[in-house]
Amino acid sequence: MGWISRQFTTRVIVLIPVAIAINIVLGYTVQTVLKLPIYLDSIGTIFVGVLAGPLAGLVTGVLSNLIWQYAPVIGGGTIGPFAIVAGVIGLLAGFWGYLGVFRPRPASGTQLLVAALIAAALAIVVVLPLINNPIYLDPNQGGFVSWAVPAAIAIAIIVAVVVGAFIYLRRDLAGLWVAVAGIITGVIAAIISAPISAIVFGGVTGSGTDLLVAALRQGGADVLQASLGQGFFSDPIDKLITSFVVFMILVTLSPRFLARFPLGERLTRPASGTTPSMDSRS
Amino acid sequence: MPAQPRRLPDFVARPQHGNYRGLNPTTKLVVAFTTALIALGVRGWAAPSVVLVVMLALVVWAGVGRRYLPYLLATSPLLISIVLINTFLYPAHDVAFTLGPLVATGSGLTAAGQATLRVLAFATSVALFALTTRTDELVDDLERRGLGRRAAFILSTAIGTVPRMVERAREIVEAQRARGLDTQGGIRGRLRGLLPLAGPLVLSALTEVEQRTMALEARAFTAAGRRTVLRAYHDSAAQRALRWALTVLTAALLITEVAGWLSRLP
Repeated sequence: MGWISRQFTTRVIVLIPVAIAINIVLGYTVQTVLKLPIYLDSIGTIFVGVLAGPLAGLVTGVLSNLIWQYAPVIGGGTIGPFAIVAGVIGLLAGFWGYLGVFRPRPASGTQLLVAALIAAALAIVVVLPLINNPIYLDPNQGGFVSWAVPAAIAIAIIVAVVVGAFIYLRRDLAGLWVAVAGIITGVIAAIISAPISAIVFGGVTGSGTDLLVAALRQGGADVLQASLGQGFFSDPIDKLITSFVVFMILVTLSPRFLARFPLGERLTRPASGTTPSMDSRS
Repeated sequence: MPAQPRRLPDFVARPQHGNYRGLNPTTKLVVAFTTALIALGVRGWAAPSVVLVVMLALVVWAGVGRRYLPYLLATSPLLISIVLINTFLYPAHDVAFTLGPLVATGSGLTAAGQATLRVLAFATSVALFALTTRTDELVDDLERRGLGRRAAFILSTAIGTVPRMVERAREIVEAQRARGLDTQGGIRGRLRGLLPLAGPLVLSALTEVEQRTMALEARAFTAAGRRTVLRAYHDSAAQRALRWALTVLTAALLITEVAGWLSRLP
C-alpha cells in the first residue's frame, strides 16, 4: 500500500488532470487538425509516469483515452479501446522514471558527439522500414507514394536534427537513453495496439495513419499485418518524439519543482539529488 | 455535454430529469460501458445490430435525436475509410464487382459492413451517454458509492480542464498567427506550427500545478475520513437489477467470444 500511496501525493493528484488535458488537446490537434501520421497523445502520460511512478502513469493513460472518447465536440472517434495501450505506455514511463533514464548525464568531447550521432541515427533507423518498403517505392501500387515517403523523411530528418543538436548543445547524454526508451515503448505500444486496431476497427482509425494502412493492405498484407506495419512505423518514432519532448520539458522546469514529485530525486541533477524531498509529509 | 450557460452553481442545479436522462448516473455509465464492449467485442452481424437499434431507440426516447446528428457526422470520415479500405483491399479472391482498377471482394464487403455496424453502434452508445449524463452528477453519485476523494477529484478536474485548455490552445494559436506563424498549408508548415503551440500550452499548465496543490493542502484535501455528499440521486431496485444483468450479460458474451477464438487456434 505504501508503494501505491507514495505515487499519489496531492501534487500528483493535481498533476494528473492537467496531464490528461494536455494529452487530449495536443493529441486532438496533431491527429485531427494537423493530420500528421503520428499521435503525440501521450506527453502527459509519460510526464506523469516519469515524475510519479508506473501506477500514476497507468491511471493517466487509461483515463485520458476514456475521457477523450466521451468528451464533447472533440470526442467520438476510436480512441477509447486504445486505453489499454495508453495505460501500458504510462506503466513503462514509470519504469523508466525508476531507472533514472531521464536524469541529466553531463558529458563532453568524443563521448558526447558519439551519443548525439547515435541518437540522430536511431531517429532515421526507426523510419527505414517505411522508406525501404517496396509498397511505397513501386509506382504501380497505390497513389500513396508521393505523400508517404517525403512526410516520413521530413519527420525523420527534423527529429534526428533536433535530437542530435539537443544532446550536443546541452552536453547531456541522457537524451540518448531517452530516445532508446522511447523507441522501446513505441515497439511495445505497436505490438499491443495492432490487434485492437485490427479486431475492432478493421485496421482503420480515421486519422492520418490510415493512408499507411491502406498502402500496406494494397501491398498484400492482411489486416493484422497492415495494422502492425503501420504501428511499427508510427509508434516508435511517435514515442521517441514524445519522450524527447517530455525530456525537453523536464530540463526546462526547475529542480525545485521536480524534486517535490515522488520520483523527483531521480530526475534532478546528481549534485542536488542528495537534498531530501520537501514533500515527504504527504 | 455541450457547454450550457449556467446561471446557478452546479450544487444548486436540479438533477437531470425526463425520459432516460432521469435514470441514476451510474446506471447510464454501466449502460454506456457494457454496450460499447458488446458492440466492439462481439463478432458478426447480430450483436452490433441489436446494440445499434437499442441505442437509437434510447436516443429518440431521451429526446436528444437532433443533438445526436453531429456525433453521427463526426464518424463519417472514419466510416468512409473503413468501407473503402475493407471493400477494395481485403486479402481475398471472391470478386463481387470491379470499379476501374479496383476489385471489390465479397469477404471485403462483409468485413466492411460489420466494421461499419460496430463503429455506428459504438458511436451511438458514446453519444447517448455524453448527451444524457452530467459529469458532476456522475462523479457525485460514484463518490456516494464509495469512490475515493482523490479519484473523484482527478475525474471531475480532468473533464473540466479539457475545454479550458482547448480555449487556451486557440488563444495561443491566434497569438502566434498574429505574429506571422503559418499554421496552414503543407506538411512542413504544419510541423513548424506545432512547437509554438505546444510549448506555451504545456508550460503554462504546469505552473498552475504548484498553486493548486497549495490551495488543496490548505483546504484539508488530505484529511482523514470521508466527505459527506449532499446530493443523492434517485436509484431503484429495477435499475440495480438492470446494471447487474447488463454486466453479467456482457461478461458472458465476451467470455463466449474469447472461448470461440481460442477453440479456433491450432
